[in-house]
Amino acid sequence: MGSDMSEARREETPGDVAASLATAALALARRFAQGGTLWCWAPGAPHHAQHVAVEFVHPVIVGTRALPAVALDDNDTVAAVRVGARPGDALLVVADAGAPVVDTMRRAAVWGLLTVWMGWGPQPAEVAVDHLLWVGDDECARHDGRVVRGYHVLWELTHVCFEHPGLLDTAAEPTACVTCSDEGRLAEVIGALDVGATAAVRTSAGVETVDTTLVGPVQPGDLVLVHAGSAITVVEP
Amino acid sequence: MTDFLYPFIERNERDGGALIDDLARSAETKMEMSVALRQSTLATLAADLHAAADAIAQRFAGGGRLYAFGNGGSATDAAGVAALFSRPPSGRSFPARSLVADQAVLTALANDVGYELVFSRQLISTATSTDIAFGLSTSGSSANLLRAFAEARRLGLLTIGLAGYDGGSMAAAGTVDHCLVVRSDSVHRIQEVQSAVVFELWQLVQSLSEPVGAHVH
Repeated sequence: MGSDMSEARREETPGDVAASLATAALALARRFAQGGTLWCWAPGAPHHAQHVAVEFVHPVIVGTRALPAVALDDNDTVAAVRVGARPGDALLVVADAGAPVVDTMRRAAVWGLLTVWMGWGPQPAEVAVDHLLWVGDDECARHDGRVVRGYHVLWELTHVCFEHPGLLDTAAEPTACVTCSDEGRLAEVIGALDVGATAAVRTSAGVETVDTTLVGPVQPGDLVLVHAGSAITVVEP
Repeated sequence: MTDFLYPFIERNERDGGALIDDLARSAETKMEMSVALRQSTLATLAADLHAAADAIAQRFAGGGRLYAFGNGGSATDAAGVAALFSRPPSGRSFPARSLVADQAVLTALANDVGYELVFSRQLISTATSTDIAFGLSTSGSSANLLRAFAEARRLGLLTIGLAGYDGGSMAAAGTVDHCLVVRSDSVHRIQEVQSAVVFELWQLVQSLSEPVGAHVH
């Protein structure tokens, strides 16, 4: 037998992921209702990202509204999302726990995106993501229809949410941005304005200027923790 | 459902908890339907799958290449077929590629000769009688797939077709050597189970082929 994958196959446990799909679908529907775009990225398997995007853009069920979704490829994905996405958008990553996606999702959250990670195999231990949707215990899930089923159901549930407009126009969905009360916020450095003194940074609220005297010179792309208008530490990638 | 009588109820709805519960139940039901359809399909198609895999393995053994094609979600699934056979997670690699991968070729053909011919024209320019045409459709009736299968048959290719519903025109065309039908009327459930069918085919082809190391790559 050329394949050792069939041996790894486990029993189906659809119930495990159903509740996660439900909460993710409502959050995603809220983003769409507010004008958000869904960015889809499946590192190493771009056809999955394209499949998700075409579901939303050109629905197979007549009468279902078309929603904005974009498939990303592996060509400098961070740069593509950084320049294309707006606060209020969403990023869906389709990848296993070993894929290099954590940094991109963390930055996406800094830019104000809802982050959803659909994966299979061993689950990541600790990850900063809004919704974790684990659709299978083994890597065969990527090929045998379980991942497809996962994003199909996510699409179907998202459209069910549109039948409940009262639950969608709640603009006060809590985002990562806690407007600087006593908490630090992550921000991405766009560039130093006055080297060692101030820098322009991007947060979920937009572009702002912060004091960098505490952290010293910063580079474009650095993630910094901002508190009361000052960068207080540079976060290691 | 009496929702249409009381639209204001939805507009004023504020408790997301009930909806979340409904969505979770719905998700579970859909996934269970998918699992059941996969199990019944793989059982029903068992003999057909073995025959198709055997034919594919023979073509690969004879130096044949596989060309996968489809439209929309099925185009992405065709790309998945090409990736699974050519860059497998384990086992042997086989020459396989998607006829939807090159935007220049696809748009040139669509613009100049028509969308119905985007796959058949590529087969004419590329394929030989030792190759494999692998088309995926949910309806089974996409015009460009039917044209591609007709051309593939004329050229002497092995023709493999995945369809849904009752197989559509693909099942009746007489140009598909192995027509594998996922009998459902849900496009989503059909595509999910078509992926399972592809995966099963791939495993069978691997088991029917000489192991890695028997050939120099």
